[in-house]
Amino acid sequence: MPDFECRLKKYRQLKELTQEQLAQQVGVRRETIMRLEKAQYNPSLKLAVDISRAVDAPIEEIFIFP
Amino acid sequence: MKKFKGKITVILGVVVVLLLAAASWYSIVFNDWRLVAPTDFSTCTFTSRDLPMLISGALFVLYVLYLGILLCRAIIANKLRQAEAKTTRKLNPKLGLLGFAGFFGFLGFWTYSAFHAVSPFVFFAFFGFFGFFYEGKMSNTLIDERYKENRIRAELTAHRAAVAIVFLSLILLNLNAGALLGSLEFTLIALTILISLAIALDLFLTEYLLYRYDCADQPDGGGED
Repeated sequence: MPDFECRLKKYRQLKELTQEQLAQQVGVRRETIMRLEKAQYNPSLKLAVDISRAVDAPIEEIFIFP
Repeated sequence: MKKFKGKITVILGVVVVLLLAAASWYSIVFNDWRLVAPTDFSTCTFTSRDLPMLISGALFVLYVLYLGILLCRAIIANKLRQAEAKTTRKLNPKLGLLGFAGFFGFLGFWTYSAFHAVSPFVFFAFFGFFGFFYEGKMSNTLIDERYKENRIRAELTAHRAAVAIVFLSLILLNLNAGALLGSLEFTLIALTILISLAIALDLFLTEYLLYRYDCADQPDGGGED
C-alpha cells in the first residue's frame, strides 16, 4: 500500500471535474483515479504530471509524501 | 478481400483433398495399393502409375505448408494488433467453460493401460482455460498504467508458483535415484501430469490474480463523488 497523502479529490472538485472526465483527460480508467484519491495507487511520474496539469496544481501539493 | 482469400483457401483445400482421395482410389484399384499402404522404397521402382499419388501428395504437402505460413502470418498480425491495442480483447466469460476440457487428462490413465500412451495426460493443461472466465470479465478494459502494473504483478506471481511446482516435482521425483514411484514410466507420467497442471495453474492464476488486483480489491466507497 503506497504511503502518501493524496489531495487529488480536493483539486479535482475545485476544477469541477468528475472522476470520469479527469480519467479521460489523462488517459486512465475512472477506477485508477478513484484509487489515486484513496492513496491506494502510486502513480508514475508521467501520470502525476498529467494530473497536475489537468487540475492546475503542483504535483507536490497533490501528492504529499512524508 | 479477406473473405475472398478465405474462400479461395477453403476451395484449394477441398480440391487438394479430393485430388488426394482420387489418387488414393486410383492407387488402390489400379496400382496395387502403392504409396497408400506402407511402401518399401528400397525395393520399389518408379512407374508412371505412381504419378497421381506423387503429384497429389506433393500438392497436399504444399497446401499444408501454405496453411502453416497463413497461420504464422495471422499470429504475427495478432501480436502486432495486441501491442497497439488500447483496450483488452473482447472475450465472453463463458469461454471459461473450456477449462472442463482439462478432465480429458484423465483419459491418460485409460490410454496408458490400453496402449502405453502417456500423451493424453497433457490435456490436464486445459484446466488453465478456466482463466478465460476472468479474462472475459476484464474484456474491453482500457489498458492504462495500473492495468499494466497489475498484469506484470499477476504474471510474476503465477510464473513463480508454476516454476516452484515444476522445481519441487523435479526434486521429489528424482529422489531415490528416480525410482521413487517404482519405475521410470510412472515417473514420466507423474512428471507429465505435474508439468501440465503447473502450466494450467500459470494460465489460470495470471488471469485470476489480474482480476483480483484490478477489480475485486475495490477500495471502500468506490463510487463517484
